[in-house]
Amino acid sequence: MLKLESINVQFGGLAALQDVSMEIDSEDVVGLVGPNGAGKTTLFNVISGLVRPSGGRVLFNGIDVLRKPLYARARMGIGRTFQIPQPMHELTVRENLLVAQRFGTGSVNQSKIDEILDFVRLSDKSDRDAATELALTELKALEVAKALAIQPKLLLLDEVLAGLETGGKRQFIQMLSDLHRQFGIGILIIEHDIETISSLCKRVCVLNFGELIADGAAEAVFNNPEVIKSYTGESGA
Amino acid sequence: MKIRFLLPVLAVVYLAIPYLWGGNNYVMSLLVAAFIIAGVALAWALLANLGGMVSFGHSAFFGVGAYLSALLCINYRLPVLAGILMGGIGAAVASIAMLPALRLRGPYFALAVLAYANIFKILAMEFKGITEGAAGVTNIPALPTVMGFDFSSKLGTYLVIVTIVLLFTGSYHLIRVSHYGAALKAMHDSEDATRVVGVNSTLLKAMMLFVSAFMTGVVGAVNAHYINFIDPDYAFDLGWTLLPMVAVVFGGYRTLMGPLVGAVGIFMLDQLVFKALIGTGHQIMLGAVLAVMVLFSPDGLVPLIGDKWKRIRRAQA
Repeated sequence: MLKLESINVQFGGLAALQDVSMEIDSEDVVGLVGPNGAGKTTLFNVISGLVRPSGGRVLFNGIDVLRKPLYARARMGIGRTFQIPQPMHELTVRENLLVAQRFGTGSVNQSKIDEILDFVRLSDKSDRDAATELALTELKALEVAKALAIQPKLLLLDEVLAGLETGGKRQFIQMLSDLHRQFGIGILIIEHDIETISSLCKRVCVLNFGELIADGAAEAVFNNPEVIKSYTGESGA
Repeated sequence: MKIRFLLPVLAVVYLAIPYLWGGNNYVMSLLVAAFIIAGVALAWALLANLGGMVSFGHSAFFGVGAYLSALLCINYRLPVLAGILMGGIGAAVASIAMLPALRLRGPYFALAVLAYANIFKILAMEFKGITEGAAGVTNIPALPTVMGFDFSSKLGTYLVIVTIVLLFTGSYHLIRVSHYGAALKAMHDSEDATRVVGVNSTLLKAMMLFVSAFMTGVVGAVNAHYINFIDPDYAFDLGWTLLPMVAVVFGGYRTLMGPLVGAVGIFMLDQLVFKALIGTGHQIMLGAVLAVMVLFSPDGLVPLIGDKWKRIRRAQA
């Protein structure tokens, strides 16, 4: 479904991504990990269209989307969340989803909105002002809900668990594990918590200084000496 | 606007005002001028409130609408109402020149658009073969007489401009409550958040610019046929941007009625009170009023009245 070919991103003198290639199928739930500054969010920005790479190709269902703007990629089925939740201001929770659905899919389906609200457990908050009346866990849930409202084929989740307290985190992990099963979409998820990633994803990719240093089964990747070294600075051997 | 508010408003503008002052040319001319400013104020507020763009260039749309309608009616004998419509369309087309400025934000957009507006004024000045240059266009056909009713009279022009402004208000309301309006509102603080869910933010902003330019062009055209003469200094005067801006801030730019209440209120205050008190330089009082309004009620007069009204209702309950 998604194929990245030799993606390079240069920010001035800094190589944010170097020759990154990977493939994600519609069946996949893939974890994307790496130390701070490894290029994880930059890769999300490349896939969703916020950053244009200096080299490489982004193929989505066989179509090169590199020249397609952000909104066009969303309409093709690439949904994403932001690390810092970005609710649409001045709109209620339901209106946030309605706008996403209307523009992302071209039509409005209230029962689908209800289904998503129910799934992210925001049904009782649907008439609340999204920007001012939601707690962090609810804002994160709204991020996921907005992305689901465009009926994505691929969902990019950027540290959706960051900053959540234990109870909220547990609830969110359960929701994410249901997400793939219920909506049948491919998921690429950035997360720092190795335990969480291991429980959610069978496959894990690791970025370090903009390079893809590992891509494979979660257990094998986390025992990879190069991966351990990238996190601890020490050899895992 | 709720129907319980709409009906009294319609009754006042179409029945009470014509009945009370229809024969008074002075009051009618004040009201025509006030509603012309209200029309531009509404168009300006639409762009600011929904498009998130502060424009200093509305004088360009006003001037293009005025010139295009006047020249088409004089040179091609187009009926005046068709000319007014063409004036609006011409202003919307002229706004295409401003599309590159949509990439700019905040003061940069405002300054770029101000520069565009000045270019249109220079064009009107220099293309003498078409626009008569600084001498201006004279003998612009007046609004027509329909079924014996003279729409070029003060009362007739009042009814025309009020109808146009109310139609624009209705259009603004419909856009505001649509999904487009919701997406536009959401774009102000988090444009990326709307783009990642499929909103073509540039297109939506461009649409608001077209609509706003069209509205301003129509009002400019009506004004040209009302006063029957225009020149570049008058038609493209920066005042056609600044006075509506003051009116919008005074009335409250986030509300539907704010620009209308602000325009009529501020213009009447200026003409009936400040002019009588100071005479020359009476506009300085507008600045003072605006400063007081921004200090005490930054959201404007209409939200202030709304809040007071709610408190009174709550106290009575």
